[in-house]
Amino acid sequence: MYLRIAAQYVLVLIVTLSINFALPRIAPGSPLLYLVGEDVATMTQAEQDQVLREFKLDRPIVEQFVNYAVGIVQGDLGVSVRYGMPVWDVLLDHLPWTLLLMGTSLLLSASAGTVIGVFAAWKQGGKHDIGALTLVLFLGSIPPFWVAMLLITFFSAQLGWLPSYGAYAIGVASGTPEYYVEVVRRMIMPISALALVNTGNMFLTARSSMAMALEEDYIMLAHAKGLRELTVVFKHGFRNALLPIYTNVMVSMGHLIGGAMVIETVFSYPGLGSTIYDSVLARDYNLLQGAFLLVTISVLAANFIADMGYPLLDPRVRRPGVSA
Amino acid sequence: MMFRRISAMLVVALLGISIIAACGGAPSESDVGETTAPEAAASGQEAPTDAPAAARDTDDTQGPQTASKLTIGIWNTAGNITTYTIGNSWNDWVLWLSFDKLVEPSPYVSEAEYWLAESIEQISDDGRTWEIKLRDGVTWHDGTPLTAEDVAFTFVYYREGPANRWTHHCSAVPRMEEVEVIDPLTVRVTSAKPMPNFDKVTAADLPIIQKAQWEDVEEPRQFTDIAIGTGPYRMVEYKADEFYRFEANENYFKGKPLVDELTLVMIKDPQTMFTALKSGEIDGAARSLPPELLAEWANDPDIKIMHAPTLWGVWLDVNLGREPFNLREMRQAVSVAVNPDPMLENIMLNEGQSGLQGWPHPDSQWTKPDLEQPYDQAKAIELLDELGYVDSDGDGLRDTPAGEPIDWNIKVASNQPLYIRAAEMIVKQLAEIGLQSHVETLDPAAFSSLWTSGDYDLRVMEITPHGIADQDMLIILYKGDNNRALEPDPEKDAIVARWFEAATVEARLEVSYELQELNNLYPNRRMLWYPDGIFAYRWQAYDNYQPSSGYGIYHKYSFLPNESRGLTVSNVEE
Repeated sequence: MYLRIAAQYVLVLIVTLSINFALPRIAPGSPLLYLVGEDVATMTQAEQDQVLREFKLDRPIVEQFVNYAVGIVQGDLGVSVRYGMPVWDVLLDHLPWTLLLMGTSLLLSASAGTVIGVFAAWKQGGKHDIGALTLVLFLGSIPPFWVAMLLITFFSAQLGWLPSYGAYAIGVASGTPEYYVEVVRRMIMPISALALVNTGNMFLTARSSMAMALEEDYIMLAHAKGLRELTVVFKHGFRNALLPIYTNVMVSMGHLIGGAMVIETVFSYPGLGSTIYDSVLARDYNLLQGAFLLVTISVLAANFIADMGYPLLDPRVRRPGVSA
Repeated sequence: MMFRRISAMLVVALLGISIIAACGGAPSESDVGETTAPEAAASGQEAPTDAPAAARDTDDTQGPQTASKLTIGIWNTAGNITTYTIGNSWNDWVLWLSFDKLVEPSPYVSEAEYWLAESIEQISDDGRTWEIKLRDGVTWHDGTPLTAEDVAFTFVYYREGPANRWTHHCSAVPRMEEVEVIDPLTVRVTSAKPMPNFDKVTAADLPIIQKAQWEDVEEPRQFTDIAIGTGPYRMVEYKADEFYRFEANENYFKGKPLVDELTLVMIKDPQTMFTALKSGEIDGAARSLPPELLAEWANDPDIKIMHAPTLWGVWLDVNLGREPFNLREMRQAVSVAVNPDPMLENIMLNEGQSGLQGWPHPDSQWTKPDLEQPYDQAKAIELLDELGYVDSDGDGLRDTPAGEPIDWNIKVASNQPLYIRAAEMIVKQLAEIGLQSHVETLDPAAFSSLWTSGDYDLRVMEITPHGIADQDMLIILYKGDNNRALEPDPEKDAIVARWFEAATVEARLEVSYELQELNNLYPNRRMLWYPDGIFAYRWQAYDNYQPSSGYGIYHKYSFLPNESRGLTVSNVEE
């Protein structure tokens, strides 16, 4: 069975990598236009080819694909058109900031969404449930960039408490306490914006799965046995409601590497999200391929971990013929 | 009960976050303004005060004329800031912090100063051979002297190496045939055809690069070292997409710059950049203030606003490579059917100049005086009728002479809301004379691809000073137009051929005027407006900016000693 699963993952990886190669090239535009801009209109074909040759983009498409595939095996993702640097260096520069930003916001939104969702389901139909549902749906429906702009306007422009851009203070030595304080201060607004908006998704999953679990017969039995309310809710209800929440968190983890394009752009946060966005605009094929490779691997890895985790969370999954 | 506890915990958590935020104090960059003001006072300069806006407008209040450190927001990354990474952008002034030209400030102005050159002389009557005598004692940032070898190398590297925004000055217009080093400070250059504008255009636009650093660089766009220049600032650190740090070049031949350290931070989102300026996180925003913010910002006591000529333009491009725009009368009809003035009024709130003044930029030294691209709806109707573009099926809309309906696309980049609005107004104006059209928005990269695909009827876009205020570039643009045109234009070809043979500045200018007249009569560039540059800065941090045509107020001349600025700057207009 494990061999079959591994083969499936390898197949998905190969297909996805091929799509990653093709997708940026299908879109209209070319790195040449980013590199030379409107001057392309006045350049000769030889001059245009010379510019593309620097990045081996003048080669036939099949040769480019072979180079790409061989490069992946060798760990060489080529050179970014936009940065003029090896793609790995660019990715490794931006990845930590994305993990910090997205990881923290996922932790916050998953925790808050789950806790509020579970309690809302517990008190389903009550004023707290309706209040929480209204609030969370309202927050979840607000575009993240708008939340971000409101936060910047209030906390940066009006109060002057928080810096509005960047991930760290330029000129402050890395590793010093002041550096870390500045990193934390610059995380607060982007993480708040992301967490506020994403909590809704986690909340709805937690609330619905918990509400369904609380209507099961075994909950009635537990009540009939005279168990304490908290024991019924958390030991019997929450544990059985956990699987969809876990799935939701793992799916979000898979997408974590992709970053938060809009939020990172608004806050000039140097994560992978804004880098991918800028690379799309520049048609930076090599960097896009590299970034998509990371995203692909992280999604597959998260799925794999999720698959492995199900049997631990739900013994029924271990039994043949029973699905969660 | 449990809910109350959770609510209370959330409130406490929010308060905690607020306290942490508040305890951190203002960001370090905002300290700049507070520390530089006392320094100014200590040096005998007038101390800044919190004067009301009205007082500032009359310049009663002057902030510090020097600063130890400034932080300025930029919005467009350019790798390590070399001639191969920066291209055409609002940020090209960043390149000039580190690099110099033989003549400055630019090819756009009528009066310029010898900079790296001590003199540039035409030594042949046919205008083909020039001799450049370099200023003695100029050094690169690594301490080595600037020599004629560097200048000769620059010319040859740009002529032979990979193309960039500047290389046409050596490889095409003009095409340099021979470059000779006469002595350590003298270079002689000979071109294939006359180059009477050499000292006014080529020398005033071409950055000189160091031979020692570049001679072995074969892939300049993958060269990521810090570039060595001769300019007033030396880059000491950069992280593309994040920041650039420059230190003053104490040995600069025009005197030590007035600001010791410049930090340029990348803030891509315009609203975030202006918020950062408002809150004091940055001291200047190197992008033009949107006109709608002008009134509000004018009342901010911490901010000064300066108008400065940027020499940019916004135009409607009529596709020469597609029917029916290959017909010159059709181009004329489209041009006179479009009225730019309502766009200037409604979109730019009159913060700019009207496109009725034609192409190229009316403030360029090379533009024919009194040039115009008129608005004349009656003439448009007359031309369309003559061309046979009439309403043949009675639906109120004009059709082609073959009776086919017309629905031209007007393509715009999706990240340009002002241009989308302009395109919508053009649709209405064309509809008034029975021409149907519609707006199509494309992502910026797809929009750029129109340069090579030619898949558009009309498009609204902007053009930089390089393309709109430089005489030689007008010829380069003509060559580009020719590449795309559906059919040749013998009249224009003849004018350009005469331009290439003209051996004096005056003769070239005269021929250039002819080309401009013809281009404005049958334009494929219908100018819409020329935006004013409106720049905001925190005057208590530094208050010694001056406008320079084509660069706004953020450029190296604003940081040079006042006595060294000379003709590179113009008077302040507030």
